[in-house]
Amino acid sequence: MTARKKWHWGVNRWWVLLFIILNITAALAFKPISPHIQVAPEKLSHDPLFTLPVIGDFYLTNTLVAYFIVMVVLILLALAVKRILSKSSLEPRGIAGTLELLVEALYNITESSAGKWAGAIFPLFGSIVLVVLLSNWIGLIPGVDSIGWLEYSEEGYPVISVIPNFLSAIIQGEVAEGGTGYIVTPFVRPVSTDLNFTVGLAIIAVVMTQVIGFRAQGFRYLTKFFNFMDIFKKPFLGFMDFLVGFLELISEFAKVISFSFRLFGNIFAGAVLLFVVGSLVPYFVPSMLMIFEFLVGLIQALVFGMLTMVFMSMATQGHGEHGS
Amino acid sequence: MEKLGLNLGYLLVQITMFAVIFVTLRAWVFKPLLAMLEKRKRVINQGLEDARLAGESRANAEQDAQKIIAEAQAKSNQIVREASERAEHASRDITHSAEVEAARLLEQGKKDVEIERNRVLTELRGDVAALAIAAAQKLIEVNLDEKRQRTLLDEFFSGIRSGKVTLLENASMAGKTAEVTSALPLTDAEQTVVKTDILSKVKGTPTVRYRVDPSILGGLVVKIGDTVLDGSVAGQLQNLKQSLE
Amino acid sequence: MLTGDIVEAAKFIGAGLAMIGAVGAGIGIGLVGQGALQGMARNPDFYGSILSSMILGIAFAEAVAIYCLVIAFLMLFVL
Repeated sequence: MTARKKWHWGVNRWWVLLFIILNITAALAFKPISPHIQVAPEKLSHDPLFTLPVIGDFYLTNTLVAYFIVMVVLILLALAVKRILSKSSLEPRGIAGTLELLVEALYNITESSAGKWAGAIFPLFGSIVLVVLLSNWIGLIPGVDSIGWLEYSEEGYPVISVIPNFLSAIIQGEVAEGGTGYIVTPFVRPVSTDLNFTVGLAIIAVVMTQVIGFRAQGFRYLTKFFNFMDIFKKPFLGFMDFLVGFLELISEFAKVISFSFRLFGNIFAGAVLLFVVGSLVPYFVPSMLMIFEFLVGLIQALVFGMLTMVFMSMATQGHGEHGS
Repeated sequence: MEKLGLNLGYLLVQITMFAVIFVTLRAWVFKPLLAMLEKRKRVINQGLEDARLAGESRANAEQDAQKIIAEAQAKSNQIVREASERAEHASRDITHSAEVEAARLLEQGKKDVEIERNRVLTELRGDVAALAIAAAQKLIEVNLDEKRQRTLLDEFFSGIRSGKVTLLENASMAGKTAEVTSALPLTDAEQTVVKTDILSKVKGTPTVRYRVDPSILGGLVVKIGDTVLDGSVAGQLQNLKQSLE
Repeated sequence: MLTGDIVEAAKFIGAGLAMIGAVGAGIGIGLVGQGALQGMARNPDFYGSILSSMILGIAFAEAVAIYCLVIAFLMLFVL
């Protein structure tokens, strides 16, 4: 009798029901407030941490905190994997086994499209995927985007004290006359909702694409952009080729914008959606959206990485050798 | 730009942070993991290759075993066939030789029997002849009286005269002694007949001597030198006996 | 220079108009999904590679909608 046991809800349904009821009662007791939405990351410190001569003041922002968390998590992960791999040579256990699954799948994709350059391309691809994945998913952790400093604001909300002098909460309602309204500046905000992060990542991707192109083809790679040769060979089409090369150059810059705004837009839109729906219909629906956002985060991470990888592998192939 | 939050400082910081993560991950995760994957793939391929080789060699061994068995069977079949052939051959040989031997033995036996019979017959014949002759002698001795003796002599002489007995023709008798033996003493007339009839035919004139020997039973025996003219009954009996044997 | 509520109204109207661009992205994603599903149905062996290509294509098409969304957000929250 090895027939597969049919999965049924069992005790889980009661947990789900319990949490839905808790969700509804909590939302009825304290109506959720849509947080203050702004594109630029919030500064957590009023005074700059340090001032650089040219760049200017440098504040600690909440996206930076998230980035630190991502970095620490990834470095701990790397350390664990390193230790596990140094112990057992062929059978990774624990977290390394999980990571191995991901790495193997990603590497197979890379190998199928990049061929012999897979070894050079893959580390960047994998790093981007892992970093973006964690940056996207960090917004799903409870408390992110909702716990932070209270700040004075004209559009603020009244405050009640939960634990005196330590923990307070803003509640829905009108600020009393003469009182002060507050908004929350969260400690942690998903990194992907910071344009600095996405633009930085896009710049890295595009620059590394050029680097890989130069490594693969040498200075012949430049003919992709500055195609002077054909002008003398065939006057009209050669000129067209020159213009196409110019367009290629522009498209490289467009790639930065495309990369960065795709990731930023997806995750920021997801965050905004969660905020808005969470304040409008705080019953059960945000849970579904959370699952959706989980999927979106995974897909965007894969898309960012795979686009980088595809552009890189295209850069390794020369102008006239697409077929090979 | 300010409201978008784009800031060169943050950009650089985040790029450097990504670089840190990238280097760490590459050094500690991707390179060892990829090396491990490569190694594992190699090990698995090695194992598969080994398994394939083992399978192949097993198949080869099976084939060899099959071949060996087939060869052994063929050889054993051949041996059996040869053995049976040889046995058949041998049995045929034996049968043949036995037949030959039997035939030979039979032949031999037949021959022996023949020889024996011939011998016995010969012996018997000799005995019979001897007995017959003895009986005849006895008979003849009893019956040969004087009168018959004279008749026998006459027949002899008449035979010579008529040319029936053509012995002593032209034989040289010169200087030799003719000896005439008879069972009874010859009369004078008879002696002259002997002289004229017998001795006239030979050349020369031998001296004739007459002898009487009753053992010749009857008739005459003329002996001139080495030549004997046997006209005696005993001589005829002797001839008979010889022809009987 | 306009000030006051009419500016707020213009922002919202502009954001809404900007999101019209998402129509194209929706059509594009639909076409990508249709093609991918047909391909998968015709030869299910290539399910995996078709799926990854489909996700890539959807991401490209979706990017247009995302640009619209970004513009809308800029109007709403930045300007």
